[in-house]
This record gives sequence, structure tokens and C-alpha cells, in this order.
Amino acid sequence: MVGWSVLFPYAYLVPLLMVGSFVVVGLGGTRLRRFAGGGWIAVAAAGASMVLGVLLGVAEMLDPTYTDTHVVWLSLPATGTGTFPNGFELVMGTLVDPLSGLMLLVVTIVGFLVLVYSLGYMAHEKGLPRYFAELSLFLAAMNGLVLADNLFEFFVFWELVGVCSYFLIGFFYEKPSAASAAKEAFLVTRVGDVMFLLGVFLYFYVYATSGPAGGWAAHGFLFVQGSSPFLAGVMGGSTPLLTVAGLMILGGAAGKSAQFPLHVWLPDAMEGPTTVSALIHAATMVAAGVYLLAVTSLFLGFTATDDLAIVAIGGFTTFFAATMALVQPDIKRVIAYSTISQLGYMVLAVGAGFAMVGMYHLFTHAFFKALLFLAAGAVIHAVGTQDLFKMGGLRRTMRITSGVFLVGALSLSGIFPFAGFWSKDDVLSSLFGELGSHPLYWPFYLLALATVFLTGYYIFRVWFLTFSGENPRDRSLPAAHEAPGVMLVPMIVLAIFATVGGLFPFVPAFAHLLPGAGIPPSYTATDLALSALSVGLAAGGILTAWAFWGNGRVFELPAGSAAQPVRRLLLKRYYFKAGYDALGLTGVYTFARLCDFVDRYIIDGVVHGLERSFGGLSERGRRIQSGVVLDYASYVVAGVVVLLLFLLVVGPYLVATWGS
Amino acid sequence: MAVGIISVVLLTLVGGTLLTFAAGRWARYVALGTSLVFLFEAAYMLSAFVWPLPNGAGVPLYAFSETAPWVHLSWLTINYSVGVDGISLPFVLLTAILQIVTVVYTFEEDRHPAAWFGLVLLTCLGSFGVFVSLDILQFFLFWEAVLIPMFFIIGYWGGVRRRYAALKFLLYTHVASVVMLVSLFAVAFYSHAASFDFSDLYGPAQGLATTTQVVLFLGLFFGFGVKFPVVPFHTWLPDAHVEAPTGGSVLLAGLLLKLGGYGLIRWGLELLPSGLEHAAPLLYAVAFASILWGAFMSLAQRDLKKLVAYSSINHMGIVLLAIAVYSSLGVMAAVLLMFAHGIVSALLFMVSGSVHDSFGSRDIVSVNGITARTPVLATMIMIGALASLGLPALVSFPAEFSAFLATWDRLGYFVLLPLLGLVITAAFYLWMMQRLLFGPARNLPERAHDLPAHEAIAMGLLVALIVLYGILPSLLTNIIVASPIHLLP
Amino acid sequence: MTDAFTTAGFLALSGALLALGLFGILTRRNFILLLVSIEIAVNAAVLNFVYFAAFAPTTAEALNGQSAAIVIVALAATEIAVGLAIVLGLNRLRGSIDVTGATDLRL
Repeated sequence: MVGWSVLFPYAYLVPLLMVGSFVVVGLGGTRLRRFAGGGWIAVAAAGASMVLGVLLGVAEMLDPTYTDTHVVWLSLPATGTGTFPNGFELVMGTLVDPLSGLMLLVVTIVGFLVLVYSLGYMAHEKGLPRYFAELSLFLAAMNGLVLADNLFEFFVFWELVGVCSYFLIGFFYEKPSAASAAKEAFLVTRVGDVMFLLGVFLYFYVYATSGPAGGWAAHGFLFVQGSSPFLAGVMGGSTPLLTVAGLMILGGAAGKSAQFPLHVWLPDAMEGPTTVSALIHAATMVAAGVYLLAVTSLFLGFTATDDLAIVAIGGFTTFFAATMALVQPDIKRVIAYSTISQLGYMVLAVGAGFAMVGMYHLFTHAFFKALLFLAAGAVIHAVGTQDLFKMGGLRRTMRITSGVFLVGALSLSGIFPFAGFWSKDDVLSSLFGELGSHPLYWPFYLLALATVFLTGYYIFRVWFLTFSGENPRDRSLPAAHEAPGVMLVPMIVLAIFATVGGLFPFVPAFAHLLPGAGIPPSYTATDLALSALSVGLAAGGILTAWAFWGNGRVFELPAGSAAQPVRRLLLKRYYFKAGYDALGLTGVYTFARLCDFVDRYIIDGVVHGLERSFGGLSERGRRIQSGVVLDYASYVVAGVVVLLLFLLVVGPYLVATWGS
Repeated sequence: MAVGIISVVLLTLVGGTLLTFAAGRWARYVALGTSLVFLFEAAYMLSAFVWPLPNGAGVPLYAFSETAPWVHLSWLTINYSVGVDGISLPFVLLTAILQIVTVVYTFEEDRHPAAWFGLVLLTCLGSFGVFVSLDILQFFLFWEAVLIPMFFIIGYWGGVRRRYAALKFLLYTHVASVVMLVSLFAVAFYSHAASFDFSDLYGPAQGLATTTQVVLFLGLFFGFGVKFPVVPFHTWLPDAHVEAPTGGSVLLAGLLLKLGGYGLIRWGLELLPSGLEHAAPLLYAVAFASILWGAFMSLAQRDLKKLVAYSSINHMGIVLLAIAVYSSLGVMAAVLLMFAHGIVSALLFMVSGSVHDSFGSRDIVSVNGITARTPVLATMIMIGALASLGLPALVSFPAEFSAFLATWDRLGYFVLLPLLGLVITAAFYLWMMQRLLFGPARNLPERAHDLPAHEAIAMGLLVALIVLYGILPSLLTNIIVASPIHLLP
Repeated sequence: MTDAFTTAGFLALSGALLALGLFGILTRRNFILLLVSIEIAVNAAVLNFVYFAAFAPTTAEALNGQSAAIVIVALAATEIAVGLAIVLGLNRLRGSIDVTGATDLRL
């Protein structure tokens, strides 16, 4: 029987189809007006790659094997000496394994749905070919990243998704805020990328010098099943080199997944079209940081110090971002902060040693967060503003949108039985089980628990402000209308996933993709109590939101209230952005201007000074040149006399004094 | 002896250059024809390249090598000696590419076109000669043959302060080449090889005492370093670039800077390995200084061309670093990076020239938001900037990656310094794009036009190469490793 | 070799000629006298070549010195020819053959 695994070597087609779409749409440009600016081409390519991606995912469910296919990209021949006596090879290839099968499902499905939605949402924008070309390239790079079979290749596609994100955030490039946000996103993630690069070097080095048995030549730099314990064994699990390597990888992941302290760019990235926010800045690219951590933890290994750092970053970010989400007036920014917060949960889970649990939350989050963004996009599309305080009462005109948004919000809050409940509960209970292993886990667990309450509050604040009440608070808003079918269908599909997605690990085949995630067989009363606690906290948050904002109420904080400074601090985002601007713009730029001054007036000043002194010297020297032949003749004679003196007197004297 | 392909190329270029000077208003067609033939010949060399493995004595051999006695004295042999290996062949290809794109980009030059195209061809002839010469005197003659045409290119076709810039360029590079020549002579005489031929020098020079090697190497380093250029001998470069015409800048950044790097590998690293090893700390310091200084200086510039010029200092600093770590990986990275920088900086200088042509200014602070007006030009700027900041799938990435890996291998956490340079590089390119390309349109004159066809073709060719070699760097690296670099650690 | 012609005597003679020539070169302002002085100095060298050739062990090596002397004499003749041509040109241009006045090529 021909097994499902015949598909595995063709996995490269998933990204390649999107590259094809990028080339056709990119070069076709305005000539593609009849195809919705190339949209139909991109949708067709994404559809085909989704079919293949889903097939691959299903194949992995039925046949959970590790299949690697690669070609050599760059090689150094054997030199016999130095660090790489056998040379080395950097390869590009595809690794189809349960983890990448899961990610393929997420990326191709959400990508396809967002592209379909874009046909409606973006219909009236300029520059559609650019939009669809860039989105195609993004999906190609993202799929390439998912399928990468070594850390180096991972980095390559990592950078490519970053640059696509840069261009898409800056899609409305004539808006200065969009151009600035794009630059900020690229730069902040670049800081993380440089750390990631150093991490690649360190792991590469560890591999090259003491890699899996058989040495470098046998294994290359590939992700090999079961290599993590091996590496940990070889390196004793705690060498400084491996620890630093892990921290560098964490730095890279923090940049991409907008974890503290590199979180500032993600809320500003909301300057891009809402579709981009849904696909890139919620469901896929920002989750790549978590995927990176999971992959590293599975194939390369973290040391105990690394794990603690990951838990700390994830746990703190979860709470930190959620607090900022409490007060934002912009619908997209609230969801953006919630993304940072949810990514923190995933990072937390990976750090606690439950990579698969983190991936589980990534999986469900991708659907409900994409749904929330697309629904928010439908609202923005309808009323033309992102300001929550201008909206209100939209439930009447946008029944389906308000319904699917509610599904997304319940899922995000973690209300039983929506998808978010299962995965978030899994994260919390896994961490609870690990509390004994390190005393520092306690505070981060409590922060994560508190965040459940905040999550329920802030997302329902959005829902109440947007949909409840009688009429929009700002009467000048255009009459809202329900989104067209091409936008509604993707939202409904996502809503279905956001409702039942959490149950997938209970399907035996699907569980192959997420080994170890989901409710354990030994479900105890403690677990039940924990689940009840988190649902209770979420419900408490929702009720609080209802009390403040329900039925069209608008809660005003009293002017003299002690909470005002806190609110201000949260609105100012803890002054991180201002601080980075001061450091980056004022600090570095001033230093650069100082360098410029030194270059102009000191380095070149020395040169010009030399030039002037030589000029003066030669000005005096040229007077010797009188033009009178007799003077020259006397110089010749004088020269001969000096030479003779040297040969006859000085030379013999030197020889006599200093020996031959 | 039979006339080999390299002599044929030399004859082609000499003939083409002379014909171009004489061709009057037909000069551009003659130049284009010559460039096409040259490109064809370079492609032939690439396809027929087989590197002969070194013989027992360890003296490296060269593909397409030719040797003919030129001057024979009892105490000195000077040969006409040419040949290529994996280190020089990429530069031959680079020369052919840059010659044709320069000719195409400046196809509409109307100030003394015969002289212009003739000088362009002469510059490329000299560069080609430098890359294939294996004899000190011959090498030096070609080396000087590059400086003179560039002096005239800057001094006649240049901007307002062209006289100052041309003189500064000539003085700096000339002083450096005198020091280089003296050092090469010293290598020949101290090693008692009684010959200027590289193959005769190879063994004796490597056998020199370490102290001698260090002194000689430092002399060579000064000579080649000014050409790189390294901090603090770099200030000629921005002036020369700002004043040079676009075609001149393309050749200056694309070819002339590479002469220094190539020379340092061929005549420094190969002949005086222990000199390099012992002088390495100085080289590291200079390289780190160049990388960071170039990056910070770029950040402070308002003039697009000056920004690109300082970024060249940054990139050539990485090249120097890769050479200084003295490993096969490092040299491979250095050659690859020079090739990459050659085509990327050519593209960036072309876009700078086109921005000036379209908008009358290159000031990125006052000229804003050009994307809507000139989308093709804006796309080229983006590709150039992204390639230069080391985006994967574009040509600089594999080179920078290898260079940093080699640095890590030798220097450990010092690699953080060039990595910091990488962040700043990203910062100044992003800042430039934010100002120049994005935001609302400001200060765009009515007559602003997008790229003329010939400019677009030249840039398109470069972009195609940037992508091709970015995706398949092994096309080049498989050639580079066919060279004595496998002798290195 | 007779006693009358000692080596010291020859060297003294050629030294005297050289000194005489040099003195003339440094002091004469008249171009023709300058040329005459140069000739005297050159002849000092010719004398040395011929004299020391006489000590050569073989005829072939003796010819080395003698042929050098002949070359110098020939060179001197051509030099005078060129020199006189310059004198004539100078006289036509400036009406004088005073060398200190001819400084037009000064930078």
C-alpha cells in the first residue's frame, strides 16, 4: 500500500506555490486589474498550497514520522585543520514531522481564509498587486519557516517573514505613522534577530565541535529526532555556551513574538491593514517565536537557566501586556496587546518544559485571534473608525459579526467549552504541576492566573463598547452595514474552529500532532478545581466588564481618582516607547552626528593640516629652484661633495666604530 | 606558446578601449560591443574553469595560466604572467558585469562620450589586469592604470567640488600604491627569489622570518588598506563618491575598493601568512573601527550618496575582518562579500544617481515620499537597501553569515561588535527608506520622471544577479574554494 | 712606464683638470665659456680612463677603458654641437648668451 508518506518529499511545493504567486502578481502589477489586482491568483495559489498543507498535516496524523529532504546550499570543503576539519554543509530542506504538520494546518488554513477575506476588505484600496504579492511572499516565507529542517534555514525564512511584515505594516506608506511603525517593527525585531543569529552560531559551533555521534559530516546541522537529550548529555546540559545559545534564541523569539522588553513594536504594527494584523501579527508570524522556542527545545535543548529565563519572560509579559490592554481606546490595539499577552502564555508553557502545550495554545489562539481581528476589521470596514468610544449598538446592524466576535471573545477569555479554554487551562495546569521544581515559578504562575481575569475584562470591554447599547455614540458615523459574504464566510469558518478547535487533541489521530497536550488521562479533582478557578476568574472579568461598560454604559474614572496616574501610565505604555525613541533617535543619532563631526573636522582636519604644512614647506622649497643653471650646477657639486664625504670619512668611521 | 583566453581578453579590452577613444559619436556602441564580448569571454572562463591542484612543491597553479619572459637579468626575472584561481575568477566576472552595466547605465552620456566610454573601459581593463596578473611589475602597472582614468572621470565629469575630490583621491591612492610597490619589492628582494613572478616568490616569501613578514605585511596592509578604505584613511572615499559621476561611483565602489581586498588576499595573505597572523590584532582593531565607524557615519548622513559611501566602509570593514581571521571560511566569505558588495553598491550608487536626476537633489531629509511618483525607482532602492543590510535570499546574506561565523570561530564574543554594526546598518537604511520613499510626497519637482529604459535595464540586470546569487550562492562558493584557501586552517 | 709618468702625477693632472673645469662651471656666466669648462672637466675623466687602461692585464680589458674614452669624446662632440645650437638660439632670443638670465622654464 502506498502510504501517506509519499507526500512528504513534496512539501517544498507548499512555499513554492506562493513564491510563484508572488512572482506572477509582483511582475504582473497593474496589468492584473481584472483579477482583483492579482487577488484571485494569490487565492488560487494559497488554496492549492492549503490543500497540500492540510494533506501533509493529515498524513502526519496518520503516520507521525520524521521525513527530511534537503539540498546543499553552501559548503566548505574539508581542510583537515581548524574548527571545521571535515568542512561543513549548510542545507536547505523540508522536515515534515508532527510539529510542522500542525503548523502547516494553522498557517495554510488561516492564510487562505485571510486572503479570501482580503478580496472583500481590500477591494477599494490602491496598490492591490503590491498587497497580494507581499502577502504571497509572506505565506511562502512562513511555510518555509514551518518546514525548515535546520536552525540556519529557520533563520533565513525568519528574516524573510520579517521583511514582509515590514512592507505590509507600511502598506499605507503615505501615512507617516505607518512608515514609522514599519521601521520600528523591523528595527526592534532586528535586535532580536541579531541575537538569534548569534544563537545559530553557538548551536552551530556546539554541533560542529561535539555534535551527535558520527560527527559533523554524518548529521549536518539538521533537526534530528531525539537529538535534544543527546546534546544535553554531551554538553552536560549546563555548559555556559549552551546556556548563552539558549538565551540568544530566547532573545530572537522575544523580538518576533513581541515579548518584554521587545514588545513595543506590535501594537504600532496595527497601522497595517487589519487583514495583515490578523494573519501576520496575530495568527502566524508572531507565533513563530513560540514555534522557534518549541523547535529548539525539542531538537537542540535548553539548559535549566534558559528554562527559568523563558518562564520569567513569558509569565511577566502575559500580565504586563494584559494591563496595557485594559485602557486602550483603539479596538485593534486592545487585540494587539491581548496577542502579546497570549503569546506570553505560550512562551511560559515552553519554558516550563511543555513545548507541546505551548503549541496547543498557539493552535487554538491562531484561530480565535484571527477571528477577532477579522471581525474587528469588518467593524472598521463598516464604521470607518477604530475608536471604541465612537462605536456602540452595532449588534443591531451587524448581527453575524457581533456573533462571531462574541465567539472569539469567549474563546480568548477561556470560557468552557470554547477552544481557548482547553489550551489555556492546559498551560496553567501544566505549570501548576511544575511549581515544585523551582521556587521562582510561583510568582509567574500567579501572574498568569491574574491575567485570566484581566483577559475576560478587557476583551468584553471591547465587545460591550462596540456592539451593546442602542446607537453609536458618535452620531456622525456612517450607517453600519453587515460585511459582504466574501468576508463573512472566512469569519464563520474561523468561528467554528474557535469553538471546537480545543477538542482536537481528544481525536486520537490528531493527538499525534500534539503528543502530551490536552487533558491528561489522570484527571484529578485538583485539576477540576483549577479549571473551575480559571473559568471563574474569566467569568468574573466578564461580569466586571459588564458592570462598567454593559448596555451602552460608559465608565468614566473620577478626575481626582487615585487610579488616574495608573491609567495614564498604562495609556503611555509604561513609557517604553518614549524611552526607546529617546535611546534610538536622540541617543544613537546624536552619537552618529558626533562621529560625523569628528570625521569632518578631526580626521579630515588632520589631513588638511598635513596638506597645509606640506604646502608651506614646498612653497619655501620652490625658492631653491631659481632657474639659473649655475645654481643647479653648484647643488650638483655640493651633492657630490657630501657623497664623497660620506664614502670616505663618515662610512669608514661608522665601520670602525660599530664593526662591519 | 599558444595565446590563452586571458591574453585574448586583454587584447579585446585594449583594442576595444582604443577603438572607443577613436570612435567619436559611435563610441557608446563600440563600448557596448566590447563589453558584450568581454562578458561572453568571462562566461566562457567561468564555464571552462578547472583548477589544477597544486603540485608537490605546494606552489599553487592557475587555470588559463600563461607565462612569457619579459625582462630577464642575471639577478631578476620579470615575466608576463597571468592566470586565475577561485579567488580571482569571481572578480573577473564582477569586472565584466560592472563594465556592461556601467556602459548601459550611462548610455546617454553626452559630454565627450568617446572620452567617457574610453575611460570607463580603461578602468575595467586595469581592474581585469590586476585580477589576473601574477607578477609584481605587471600587477603594479595595471594597478596604476586604474587610478589615472578614475582621476579624470572624477575630475572632468564630477560635481561642484570635483577638483578637490579628484586630487584627494589621487593623492591618497597614489601614496598608498607607492608604499605597496616598495613593500612588494621588499618581499621580492628579502626573499632572494630573484624574480617578480608570484609562483617564484611563493615559497621563498613564506619562508621569511616572522619579524620580516610582519614588517612587510604591515607595509602591504597600508598600501591595500587605503584602497579598502579602512579607518582612519577613509576620508577620500565619501568625497570622491559625492563628487564622482554615477558611472564613476559604480566603478569606484564596485571595482576599485575590491582591488584592495583582492590584493591583500593574493599578495598579503598568500605570500606572508605568518605576517598576517602576527599582525592580526591590529587588523581586527582596524576592521571593528571601520565597521562601526562606517555604520554610525551612515546614520548621520543626509546625502543618499554619502550614506551609501559610508556603508561601503562598513562592508569593507567586514571584508577585512574576514581576511584577518585567517581561515578558509574567512577568505571564502571575504571574496563572496566583495562580489556581493560589488553588485549591491553598484545598484545603490545607480539609484542615488537616478534620484538626483529625477528630483534634482539627493537630500533624504527634504525629498520625501517618492514611491508614488517613481515606483520603479523606489522598488530598486528598496531592493538595494535590503540587499545591503543582509536580507536572506539576496546576495550579501550568505557572505555576511559566513564572515560572522568565521569571526565567531576565531574571536568568540567579539563578533558582537560587527553584529551591532548590523543593527545600525538596518537602522540607517530603514531611516533612509522611511524618509525618502514613504510618507507624503514633499519637494518633488514637476518634471520628476521614473527611470529611463537604459537605466532600468542596467539596474534590472543587477537585481537579477543579486537574487540569483542570493538564492544559489554555491554557484560562486564552489568556484572560490577551488583555490589555495583549503591550505588555511 | 717611465718614472716621469707616475700614477700620482697623472691623478694630480686629471684632478687639476677637473678642478679647473668645475671652477669654470660654477663661475662662468658666458655660455660658451661654460661649455669650454665642461669639456675640460670631461677630459679629466677621459685621461683617467686611458691611463688606467694601460695597467689592464689583458688587451681585451684594456680595450674597455679605451673604448669608454672614445665614447666620451664622441659624446662631448655631440654635446658641443647641441650646446652651440642652444647658444645660437639663446642669442637670437635674448640678444645675450648670459646663462643667469635664461630662467624662463622656472616653475
